[in-house]
Order: sequence, then structure tokens, then C-alpha cells
Amino acid sequence: MQEISSRTARTPIGAMQRVGGKGRLVFYFYIALSATLMTLEAFGAGAPRVIRAYANDIVLPVLILLEKPIDASQKLFERLAGVSDVFLENQSLREENESLKLWRASAQQLARENESLRRMLKVPVSHIPALATARVVGVGGGAFERSILINAGSKDTIRRNAPVVNEEGLVGRVLDVGYMSSRVLLITDLNSRVPVRIDGSGILAIIEGQNSQLLKLTFMNEDKIPAVGEQLFTSGHGGAFPANIPVGTVHSVVDGQIFVETTALMTRLDFLRVLDYQTLPPEAVRPDEQTAAPAQPEGETGS
Amino acid sequence: MKNLRPNMTRFGLPGFIPLLITLLMAIIMLLPIGTGAANVTMPHLVLISVFYYMSYRPLLLPYGACAFVGFMLDLWLDVPLGMNMAMLVLTRFFVLNQLKHYRGKSAVFQWGTFGLLTVVLYTMSWALMSMINREMWPVVPHLTQWLVTLFAYAPVALLLGRFRKAFL
Repeated sequence: MQEISSRTARTPIGAMQRVGGKGRLVFYFYIALSATLMTLEAFGAGAPRVIRAYANDIVLPVLILLEKPIDASQKLFERLAGVSDVFLENQSLREENESLKLWRASAQQLARENESLRRMLKVPVSHIPALATARVVGVGGGAFERSILINAGSKDTIRRNAPVVNEEGLVGRVLDVGYMSSRVLLITDLNSRVPVRIDGSGILAIIEGQNSQLLKLTFMNEDKIPAVGEQLFTSGHGGAFPANIPVGTVHSVVDGQIFVETTALMTRLDFLRVLDYQTLPPEAVRPDEQTAAPAQPEGETGS
Repeated sequence: MKNLRPNMTRFGLPGFIPLLITLLMAIIMLLPIGTGAANVTMPHLVLISVFYYMSYRPLLLPYGACAFVGFMLDLWLDVPLGMNMAMLVLTRFFVLNQLKHYRGKSAVFQWGTFGLLTVVLYTMSWALMSMINREMWPVVPHLTQWLVTLFAYAPVALLLGRFRKAFL
């Protein structure tokens, strides 16, 4: 950072003052324009989502290009950090591998048993195929929102509201779909609501994004406070997300408020799967179910 | 002596460097750095760039350019349209009116001026977000990004300075 000297600053202030009157008018014009745009957003008449989606398509090639050296350097740092304890890691991986072999045999036996029971009871298959596997190429929102850009769009049959997961669990849902890119609203976003079930107790609740690393557990159907470390899965209620996707674990309980740490977002997001899961249309819910359903929180459930 | 403005055309192609660099800064802001849960740590590089170029080459970033970059940033970041546009246009207005007070002063003074401006802009953006969404928006992410932006100013301005000396 250098001092501003009159030698380097070639702009004559006198010249700026001479055009000050016109400049002020231009300033007022742009302030009025931004105020109008924000007012439209406040009343829900902002830019159509499709404009935002295609604006992302414009920037996608540059992002892919810029992301390459960053990705390479991050991988290099990870490798360098891993070299020092490679021997210890190798030993623990061997032990883990032996234990996993036993688990695999057990899991295969259970899967066969599960499959035959499903056939006997005529239960539909619960596996949800992926629409596409995509890479995270950008983030959005800054301090305002929590969203990411992925390099798959309508050309990859991505649909709006499709759930997005990684190997750890639920990441979010598709918000905007461009031709080559899509925006995913993360579950940590303030506008995100996910119906969940606490593993073990089976208590139903909603987790709300806080625009921070932790999510808040609200609208529990029982007063019992879950223990720290208990796991949460999607409940499937509301139809926005399929059931039984890992969401997070109970992180802490402060003044009766329960905070949840996500499992999927604690590491660097790289490859994600967009699930071929159709959100239930409103007409799919019977009127008597709608009246009998518990009160939903304000906002968009399952977003 | 009719028009003394050293505008983009008078600088030729290098006259577009501030605009192009600011656009590049906007794209860098979108890069996925950090974990999925904590992508707030990216400083507002566009704000730094606009403040820097307004301090050294004010007429190479006219109101239209600031508004355009702000509009694109709003689209790319998926924040309410007009938010970054207002922030950047106000930055230009502030610098044009206050440059005479800090021109020739030390780099630390300039940094302090940037800190003062950005704290006002971030408070304003927080208030606007709360009004648009009709609920109190969390303060911590705004505070975090303001601090990160403030601390990033010195190294980013140093880089921009080296680049400016080489090309402008």
C-alpha cells in the first residue's frame, strides 16, 4: 500500500468538481435504481430466478478455470500435511480394514435378508437414484446467504428443489437451474428448514439454518432434550427430502436451545450428488391430511 | 481546456484495467475456498478494489461501472438485487467527497478511512437485509466478513498498487 501522492494521482480534483453537478445526478439515479430493485425484492417481485441462473452460466467457465490452480494447491497442501503421519495412518487403516471386512459380510447378509423381506411384503424400493454428480465450482451469499454453485444444469436434467447430498449426508436443495450450472441452497442458510427425526428416540423436529456453522433444532414434538452427539436424519415429512438421509449431530444445548452440527458441510465440498427425487405437489396431500397435520413454522418447510 | 477528465478513452485500453480487475475480484469472491459450512471468510474484494481505484484513479471507475459490477455481484452471489450496487455507488460517492481530506496522508490513515467507510456500509447492508426479509438478520456473519475485509485491505491494496504502477 502506498501513500497517495499528487504525482501518481493523475486525476485533477478541479476537473472532478467541474463535473460534480452531473456526477451527483448520476449518483442519485443509481441510488434510486438500487432502492427500486431492493423494494421489488422485498415485495417478492425481484429478478426472475431464471435471470440469476443464466448469470451463473456466464461466469461458470471463468470459475472452472480459476478453480483449477486453487484445487491443485489445496490438494498439494493436504498431501504435504499427510506425509508426516503416513506410517501411523497406514497402520490404523489396516486395522480399520480388517474390522470393515467383518462389517461388510454382516451388511451383505442383512441386505439380502432385507431384500427378500421387502419382496415378501411388497414394499417399494427406497433407493433414490442420482440425477447427476456435479462439482462445486463456486460459493455465493457472502455474509448474507449460504449457497453454492455446481457445474450441472438443465442439460444434465437437474430440476429445481432436487435434494443434494454428498457421501456424508444432506447438503441442501437446488434453488436455481441454469443451462450449465445450478445454485444449491445449503441447509445452513437462514431460509432453510429441514424436517428431521432424532435417531433412537424417534422425536420429530425441524432444523433451521442460522447462516453460521450450527443449525437450530426447533418445533420438537416432545419436550425431551436430546443428548449431545445424537444423530439426526431427514424424516421425509413434507415431501421435500427423502427420509433417512444423515443431517447432523446434536452439538450443544444452551439455555434450552439445541444446536446441531452438520455432517456434510464440515469438510471442503467437492463432488455432490443431485438426487432424482420429486417434491410432492400440493395436490398430492389429501385435504384431511392437511388439516390434521401439525402447525408448520413460518417460511418454506423443507427448503 | 473544455474537458480535463482523464477518462477511459484517454487512457486507452489500460483505462479499462480497474473495471476488469474489479470484475475479476468479483469472480474470485465466488471461488469455493474453505469448508461448506464456513464460506464467509472470503473478504469483499470488490469493495477493496473500488475503494483503492477510487483513491488513485477515480475517473476510471465511473458510477455506471460501479453499478454494473454491483449488479453482477448481486446476481452471482444471489443476494437481493441492488444491495452491492448501492454499496459500491456509495463508496464512489464517499471517496469523491472525502479524497481531498486523505490524499497524501499515510497508508494507515487510508486503511482507517476504509475501515470507517466499510463499517457504515456493512451496518447499512445488515439493516437492509433485515428489512427486506422482515426479520433480524444474524449480526455475526456480517461482523466476521467486515473484519476479514478490513484485514485483507492492506495486502490486496499492495498488490493492486504494484499492478497500477506497472500498467497505469
